[in-house]
Amino acid sequence: MQKAIACFENVTRRFGDLIAVNDANLEIFPGEVTAILGENGAGKSTLMKLLYGVHLPSSGRILINGEPSAITGPADAMINGVGMVFQNFSLLSALTVRDNLLLAWPKTPYWVSENNKGTKEVLANLTRLAPHINPHSKVSNLSVGEQQLVELCKVLNISARIVILDEPTSVLTPAESRRLHGFIRQLADEGVSVVLITHKLADVEACADRIAVMRKGQIVDVSPRGQKSMSEIVTLMMGSDVKREISPPALPKKRVEKLFLNKICATAPGMSLKDISLSIAAGEVVGLAGVAGNGQALLAEVLAGIHPATSGDVALDGISLIRRNQMETLATPLGYIPELPRKNAVVENMTLAKNLNLRALASGKADVNNEVQDLLTRFHVNPPEIDRYASTLSGGNLQKLVSARELGRPRAAILACYPTMGLDISAIQMIYREIFAQAEAGAAVLWISEDLDDLIAGSHRIAIIRDGQLVAVKDNDGKLNRDTLGAMMTGLKPERKVA
Amino acid sequence: MLVNRDTFLVVSATILAFFLLIIGFFILLGKPPFEMIGMLLTYALGDAYSISQTLAKTTPILLCALAAAVPGRLGLISVGAEGQLYAGAITGTAIVLAAPDLPAALMLPMMLVCAALGGAFYGYIPGILRARLQINETITTLVLNYVTVLWVNALVFGPWKDPASQGWPATITFPSAAILPALPASRIHLGLLIAVAFAIALHFFFTRGASSQKIQILAGNRKVGEMFGLNFGTWVIALMAMGGAIAGIAGIAEVSAIQGRLQPTISIGYGLTGFLVSWLSRHQPLIILPVAFLVGGLVAASDALQLFAKVPAASAIILQGMLFAVALAVPGIIKSMRPGYER
Ligand SMILES: Nc1ncnc2c1ncn2[C@@H]1O[C@H](COP(=O)(O)OP(=O)(O)OP(=O)(O)O)[C@@H](O)[C@H]1O
Ligand SMILES: [Mg+2]
Repeated sequence: MQKAIACFENVTRRFGDLIAVNDANLEIFPGEVTAILGENGAGKSTLMKLLYGVHLPSSGRILINGEPSAITGPADAMINGVGMVFQNFSLLSALTVRDNLLLAWPKTPYWVSENNKGTKEVLANLTRLAPHINPHSKVSNLSVGEQQLVELCKVLNISARIVILDEPTSVLTPAESRRLHGFIRQLADEGVSVVLITHKLADVEACADRIAVMRKGQIVDVSPRGQKSMSEIVTLMMGSDVKREISPPALPKKRVEKLFLNKICATAPGMSLKDISLSIAAGEVVGLAGVAGNGQALLAEVLAGIHPATSGDVALDGISLIRRNQMETLATPLGYIPELPRKNAVVENMTLAKNLNLRALASGKADVNNEVQDLLTRFHVNPPEIDRYASTLSGGNLQKLVSARELGRPRAAILACYPTMGLDISAIQMIYREIFAQAEAGAAVLWISEDLDDLIAGSHRIAIIRDGQLVAVKDNDGKLNRDTLGAMMTGLKPERKVA
Repeated sequence: MLVNRDTFLVVSATILAFFLLIIGFFILLGKPPFEMIGMLLTYALGDAYSISQTLAKTTPILLCALAAAVPGRLGLISVGAEGQLYAGAITGTAIVLAAPDLPAALMLPMMLVCAALGGAFYGYIPGILRARLQINETITTLVLNYVTVLWVNALVFGPWKDPASQGWPATITFPSAAILPALPASRIHLGLLIAVAFAIALHFFFTRGASSQKIQILAGNRKVGEMFGLNFGTWVIALMAMGGAIAGIAGIAEVSAIQGRLQPTISIGYGLTGFLVSWLSRHQPLIILPVAFLVGGLVAASDALQLFAKVPAASAIILQGMLFAVALAVPGIIKSMRPGYER
């Protein structure tokens, strides 16, 4: 039998009273892909941060190559050949891709120049993994998925023997995910151990060798792939088998226009929106499909009144809701779930209670109301402690917290960007239920996603955005499928314009 | 929670480390260390006169620290207190020169308000540059500091020079109606009372009520604040101006109560000292209060030490520097030495 490269022995990690990882035993072998599954807050990220040295174990120990691990911080980890790509990443957005890679590369001399001999070496992995990314573009202009790939290159560049990926595919397009899967297999064939934390069973099927399942801090099962059926694994994760089903409410008989986007134009560094027009009726769910980085994020910020529009207007029930310039202020009436909630939607050093009440607090009402506890329970935010700081929530639970704030009360319209990112199966079901309930109650819903299957299953109409323009708006009449949408998203098979 | 074991440990270790450094410093200077430390303590707190000196130094340091803390709460780094202090000194003096015969009941409030407005204007400029044009406030406040010092020079060498002073660059001596009242035979003046009142008021402003929450949201995540209708730019301008106003009052207080007229050197780096005090206290007014007093004592005592024990003039600055260095380093070192250190 092969010798483990890393081995967790009865490892426990507490945060105050909370036990994030409870008596975990796990072996990681060279040349193998270990998938770690588990519901939100199960302790997956924490377990791997222990290996990477971000946290130290409260008890138990970690062996690397049979020796007790001497890793006490990420710098150590890198020296010891352990690399990790986090759920929320750490690129310097003002620098170019190349400079970010050079900065993280141990062999980089402290002067960094265009003619640096190392540049080619540093960029080799980027060319292999993501040939479409221009090494000279600023990180701030990259889509989230592209940033994730750059992070991965950083790790590959240190020639890690253990590569930890924390939910890498949640921000990737299907094509990017497929490329990543192939790449992970290739790494494993080269003898690297890959640990893949994920909520997507597709990832597991595509590239895992062994599957470890965590539940409430414990590792409840480790087995080779194929030994257990996926529904058995889901049962281990969630305590019961959860099926994914998406059923949007029926469209109301009478069409009442609710949210109206009229020829919106806006510009941001590296992106501009051109004449975006769309009308969404009460009770209607419109999906917005597109490859990430084609203007979705900017459109969302314009609609939410964060980014000013250069021309055009957005009206909700006839009342304009956008900013014309940086000086104007506007509290958005939308239920708005932005992408990357940790960065865009919460104040991390405030409590959960305050984060749920940001609307009231920002408008000058100082007291925190008491339905907060109910909201946390209703949206399965775990742990449901109102005085906890938002920074201590797991990635998925933070996403649920934002949904609780935005979907917890009736809204006239909903703008949801990747609302299920990083969520486990039962949480995804819950979020869809809540969004559709809002539509049923008369809200207009604009739902931005890359998950074409879900969009097709859940929306009444689907709009496609490419290069900052809406290239098509289609009735979801049962004839739409992944391929037709995909073609429109990438523009490979351009639709003939019906003028 | 008020004084838990950790805080106690950190504070005592900091003081201990500071004393060790001072001892080393005096040994290097060839002075008997313990005698020198004894003298420092006496000159800071030994008798009524020393205490009055200490409090006289505490006042501008406290005001300048609050001036840095106000924008600091929003995450801004303003090093402009020095310039704002000079600006307040200029505008406060202007009213005295323009209407020297006003009665005290009118003169004092007008003088203070004018000084506050002058300082506020001097905070407003970097504020609006940051809010509207994204120009870094640290750089602008730093650069503007030099400008006001030169303005004061231009005025006291030029139009505002007292003709009777025979070449000495200074304005006329302030009329008694324009002198901030002080405790008899001391330098403890109304400015101290104002400064302490500001500290307490700011404590409530920053911890209770609607504005405190808005500032905390914007400081924590600007995008989230804007999504719910808060305007970052407006708050930048408001808090920069508010901080400036406080530093402006420090300026006129020095001119009126300590120096009695406007002359080139009003401040011995109070602005920067205040900045450090504020950052050390994490912009918390109730912590700034005692820290400013401590630093005020150190400044006053090292001034006296320089005079009586013949240590080099730079000692005052060196002692301050050591205090700040220790206060910043020790808590971090202790934290990282603790087992199971929060990571
Ligand atoms: N720094 C911290 N302080 C306090 N609690 C923490 C901290 N980090 C994590 N936790 C808690 O530990 C538990 C496990 O968190 P972890 O991030 O490992 O979950 P996860 O399995 O990665 O979930 P997700 O799928 O949502 O990312 C959660 O309950 C979380 O709130
Ligand atoms: Mg996680």
